[in-house]
Amino acid sequence: MILSLSTKLLATPLVILMTLASAAQAESVLRRANDLSFGGSESLDPISANRFYEVNDLIYSRLIRQDVDGRPAPELAQTWTANATATEWTLTLQPGVTFHDGSTFDAADVKFTLERVKDPALESPVTDVLGFIEAVDVIDPLTARIRLSTPHAGLPLLLMDYRVRMLPEGAAAPYGVGTGPFKLDSFDPESMTILSANLAYWEGAPKLDKIEFTAIPDSEARNQAMLGGQIDYNGLTRDQEPLYAGNPDFTVQSYPAGGWFGIAFQSNQPPLDDPRIRKALRIAVDRVEMLALMTGEGNGIVSCDTPVMASDPFRANLDCPQDIAGAKALLAQAGYPDGIDIEVFTADLEPGMVQYAEVYQQQVAKAGIRVKLTVAPSDGYWDDIWLKKNAVTSWSQRPADQFLNEAYRSGAAWNESHFANAAYDTLLDQARATLDIDKARSLYVQAQEILFNEGGTLIAYQENGRRVMSSRVTGIAPQDEDYIRWHLVGMAE
Amino acid sequence: MAAVLLQRIGLALVTMVIIAVVVFFALELMPGDACSVNLGRGASDSMLAACHTRLGLDQPPIWRFVTWAGDFLRGDLGISMQRERPIAEIVGWRLRNTLILAGVTSVIGIPLALGLGVLAGLNPDGPLDMAISGVAIFAMTVPEFISGTLMILVFSVILGWAAGVVTIGYKAPAFELVKASILPAATLIFILAAHILRMVRASVVEVMQSDFVQMARLKGASRRRVIWHHVVPNALLPAISIIGLTMAWLLGGVVIVESVFNFPGLGRLAVDAVADQDLPLVQAIALLFGLIYVLTNLGADLVALILNPRLRTRRQ
Repeated sequence: MILSLSTKLLATPLVILMTLASAAQAESVLRRANDLSFGGSESLDPISANRFYEVNDLIYSRLIRQDVDGRPAPELAQTWTANATATEWTLTLQPGVTFHDGSTFDAADVKFTLERVKDPALESPVTDVLGFIEAVDVIDPLTARIRLSTPHAGLPLLLMDYRVRMLPEGAAAPYGVGTGPFKLDSFDPESMTILSANLAYWEGAPKLDKIEFTAIPDSEARNQAMLGGQIDYNGLTRDQEPLYAGNPDFTVQSYPAGGWFGIAFQSNQPPLDDPRIRKALRIAVDRVEMLALMTGEGNGIVSCDTPVMASDPFRANLDCPQDIAGAKALLAQAGYPDGIDIEVFTADLEPGMVQYAEVYQQQVAKAGIRVKLTVAPSDGYWDDIWLKKNAVTSWSQRPADQFLNEAYRSGAAWNESHFANAAYDTLLDQARATLDIDKARSLYVQAQEILFNEGGTLIAYQENGRRVMSSRVTGIAPQDEDYIRWHLVGMAE
Repeated sequence: MAAVLLQRIGLALVTMVIIAVVVFFALELMPGDACSVNLGRGASDSMLAACHTRLGLDQPPIWRFVTWAGDFLRGDLGISMQRERPIAEIVGWRLRNTLILAGVTSVIGIPLALGLGVLAGLNPDGPLDMAISGVAIFAMTVPEFISGTLMILVFSVILGWAAGVVTIGYKAPAFELVKASILPAATLIFILAAHILRMVRASVVEVMQSDFVQMARLKGASRRRVIWHHVVPNALLPAISIIGLTMAWLLGGVVIVESVFNFPGLGRLAVDAVADQDLPLVQAIALLFGLIYVLTNLGADLVALILNPRLRTRRQ
């Protein structure tokens, strides 16, 4: 009797609490994880080296974003036109857009945001991408003119960069006010960051009420949180994928992305200064098999040594099946009829970096290429090995023009294979000055063909990105995060 | 007594100095330095030079060691490279959280282990002992990352009784962390209790066969009196040092358990600091772990000294 009475006494407030809890549940919240990849120094400055991309993507907008084909489409800029020499670009802006603090977005904000990219005090990596912007003129509140120090026909593509997001004029640390579909409620990257819907968002009020980011640095712990229903959206690794297969509570997506592993051969060191040998080292690879071994079927796209991702309009889609006979012939022509010894370094820095070199070693052995593989210590790898020896390398996606200049132009700081080819450099210069997108494309494709014929970097494939979501999440197509229109994302009941 | 005490404290100090030297110079021996490791691939010469000056890495290693150790003694743990905040401030909250986890673990785990150990030891090879010892051996052999993951799978994913991974922040109020530490603590107790109870059991078995217990029985003391006044006090003495060692082991255990459960403590911070290549933070945490280890053992020694008259005088 006493027992049942106390149970009832306890139960009443419990029932009330549970009712309250379910009333609160009616608010639709998407819970995500922050992997703390910047160790707690995640920044709301979109161009900081420590940019908190997942949050910045929600609170800020770009001038130009990509459409489904990867071509420039309007976001805060409605139109853009260049002068004949592609040294000046005039942008007309979306009217009636307001920042989260109520102020109006106009050309002065464009001027502020684009000009601060060059500020040396910010030490922004974006300076390397857009440092050629000389100044921005405010023509009227909805018209901005961007003046460049060198012609650049690809400016709209570079403005699609995931970091080039509009700040209000005069914005300063800690930042956080933008024009995006969500606004910042509280910010603590090491525990919880909460965003709520920006009801005044110019494309329409978001369907979600809130998005929360909880810090979970360990990949396995994030996976457990996903399995246990504590978060609704997460990246996924290949080995975690089977855990979700066939489970109706989850949606798994694999989408084209632009990250890759490669092997950078040192083109300036004999005998690799002979382009025939470099080509032999690359065409002996069975890329289809390597892609399947490394990522599983259908989780990537073969690359013929182009760093450019599949959704980029400037990618060269060449054909490069394994060619053992061709590789042997090239080696014989270059004076190595009995095969060649090559040393390759790798390190266990990212999952797959060692295996990539091992698969390579096995595949090219058939062409008489004897690879001596050294697994170097992870510490100091980028200092002591990379740029100095034949080394496995890892890149994340970026636009074609940026990639082709950053990693292959003669003398570029990150030209990891020390590739130097005047014809290649000229093609890139011409492409930058070519306003017609189809003509520009053919120039970029020619440049990538030079990389395939003479380059020093093996790129066998670009791996897909993967994500897992609660099956209640709606409005996210199997595409890169850049393409998600967050105001259309919802949670089904 | 005083001499023994001083000797123990002196030994602890020597140990601390050795730990500090090893922690500092082991990281010196690694390829690269705090700056090149942290800046990684994007390091330019000017960024490296600026960083070297900022951290004083242009000074000779011996001088840096003296400065570092001296600052540590004054409670200045340096500045985290990645977080760009004082390490003392970063570590403070995490230390509190780990102490909460360790506290919950020991408050439940130690009495449980002692009780089960005595129970098993009083009836050696009986069915109760077989059951307890069997489970203990199983618990000792399963690594934390497996038992932890299984706990989440069973209690959170399948049964839905508890939140699996800790999603509250490092600054959360203490009582919330106590609630959040149930599954991680259970994982730790599983192993901690197994170690202690096996020690206690062996000790109880030994004491039960000793002459003074025989004597007590012969003079007609009740079984209860024999157990509570003669067996348990003598059997628990050796357990104190094993409890000390196990508590110190707990520090290693929390590194794994905190990562598995995303518990915002010192162990997870250690893993994060290594992943972020934040060497000053790694050094500070390593030294702090060393300090806790030494203090815990010193504490256990002192408690044993107080409780055991035989240890108070030095044997000649």
